[in-house]
Amino acid sequence: MRAVWIARSVREQVRDHRLLVFAAILAFCLLALAAGAAWLGTQTAARWRTFVGQNVHVIVYLADNVERERALGLAEILGRASTVAEATVVEPETAFARLETSAFGSGVARTSLESLEPSYFPRSIEIQLVPAADLAGRAAELAGRLREVPGVVQVDAMTSGLARLSVWIDLGRRLGEGMLAALALVTFASLMAVFLRSRRAARQRSMVLAQLGDTAASIRLPMCLWMAVAALVGGAAGAALLRFGWRPLLSHVERSLGIVSTLPLPLLGLRDLGIGLAIVLLFGLVLGYFATPLARARDHA
Amino acid sequence: MLDSATLGVASGELIVVEGSTAAGKSTLLEVAALARTPDRGAVWFAGRNTVALQPASLPYVRRNIGYAAAEPLFEPEHSVLDNVMLALAVRGDSPSVAETAAREALTLVHASELAARKVGSLSSGQKRLVALARAVAGPPPVVIADEPAALGGEEGRAVAVSALSAARSLGAAVLCGTSDTALADRLVRAGGRRIHLAKGYIVGAPPVDLVPSVAAVAGRREEPGGRIIALRSHRGEGVMEGATKGPR
Repeated sequence: MRAVWIARSVREQVRDHRLLVFAAILAFCLLALAAGAAWLGTQTAARWRTFVGQNVHVIVYLADNVERERALGLAEILGRASTVAEATVVEPETAFARLETSAFGSGVARTSLESLEPSYFPRSIEIQLVPAADLAGRAAELAGRLREVPGVVQVDAMTSGLARLSVWIDLGRRLGEGMLAALALVTFASLMAVFLRSRRAARQRSMVLAQLGDTAASIRLPMCLWMAVAALVGGAAGAALLRFGWRPLLSHVERSLGIVSTLPLPLLGLRDLGIGLAIVLLFGLVLGYFATPLARARDHA
Repeated sequence: MLDSATLGVASGELIVVEGSTAAGKSTLLEVAALARTPDRGAVWFAGRNTVALQPASLPYVRRNIGYAAAEPLFEPEHSVLDNVMLALAVRGDSPSVAETAAREALTLVHASELAARKVGSLSSGQKRLVALARAVAGPPPVVIADEPAALGGEEGRAVAVSALSAARSLGAAVLCGTSDTALADRLVRAGGRRIHLAKGYIVGAPPVDLVPSVAAVAGRREEPGGRIIALRSHRGEGVMEGATKGPR
């Protein structure tokens, strides 16, 4: 069949089965959303793991009479421990500067901090532990030991915050996985419905064309073409939703979880989009191919 | 059921296969139209035994056969004109050529007023009329019609005779099956040759000029120009000979 007839056939099929074409676009949009969300979810989980790992897990407040050299020596000894990733001495001036920055950032008036002096802040050691599943437990254990060290006046293990954050992150991960599974299920059901409905819609035409002497390739091509276009449109819509919607959504979730990270938020890059759309396009072609039932050239009379 | 039948039809020839219900006419025509595979035997078309062809090659043969089946297949949601044009599209005609030929064919069967109607809205008789128009549109090298007097009565017969005669006069090899003796008589008067089919067998002596065709096919010796369609069916053989474009 000539190209002009193939184009005409594509136009006719789209016109005759508008609802089916719309359903196909929607199904491919869901497919792109599910696949993209899985991809971005993996990156987000890695980001959260890094965030938890990079957080300060134990703060050791030192007595006023502990000299800077001793504090540095203590930090060096702590840094050698296998469970400790990093131990840093924080000078009173640094602590005061941090307080100012954080206070002004949250809208506290400058005058309220004017009565304070840096010397009011004790010298401290911030300890970052090696990432592990029982981070809160390890922090508590380390804090217990450090309380026995002379010159240490207070140890803040931050275990309650870590435990709470871990619970929220775990809940978020489970919720994400559940939503992804539901989305995958809906996507699969949608694609199956489109596939079966397409087969039913194409059966009669396929039989007529086979009887008239059309080739299998020519019979299949129109549906392959419109299904591929539907896949491209649906896939692009899903990808656009993720590209422009994922970051605001994630920011909102992280704000509500109290996660403040300097790490960049995950985003679907152009390369990811290209690969994803190519896969969806291919999927559309394959679905169109198999959704066209071929009547046997003989024995259908 | 078709038992033993041997027949051939040449370019510009019209053969009427007459027989009562269940004589095997439809089976014979389906086998000739490559819509059914014979249990045994051969169907020759342009020097090739189509039974032995690869399935992928069959469409190239089938598109040279205009087949008006007793229960024709259509796209019911499409117009009559689109359905008739589809046969010409498959043969590779351009849309403008296909539309002209389709309108001419519909006029030939007195169905031009149905052109814009959806096939699904037509009566059974009208559908068969459209099937006849689709079979003779062009016309293809071979036209096969099963009970073509769709509307019945004298008017139906007149339409069938004029359509099949027109296809024949344009060089098509025409094979028509009917149980309507009056239609068979009219086709014979229009220059057709009659063959009787009973219980799957061709009865009576075959037309004299069919015998050399059978011999030619039996020996697989093509006539000059290599234009042969033949069929051999279960427990017998049939030969159909006609002008074709041949498979690509």
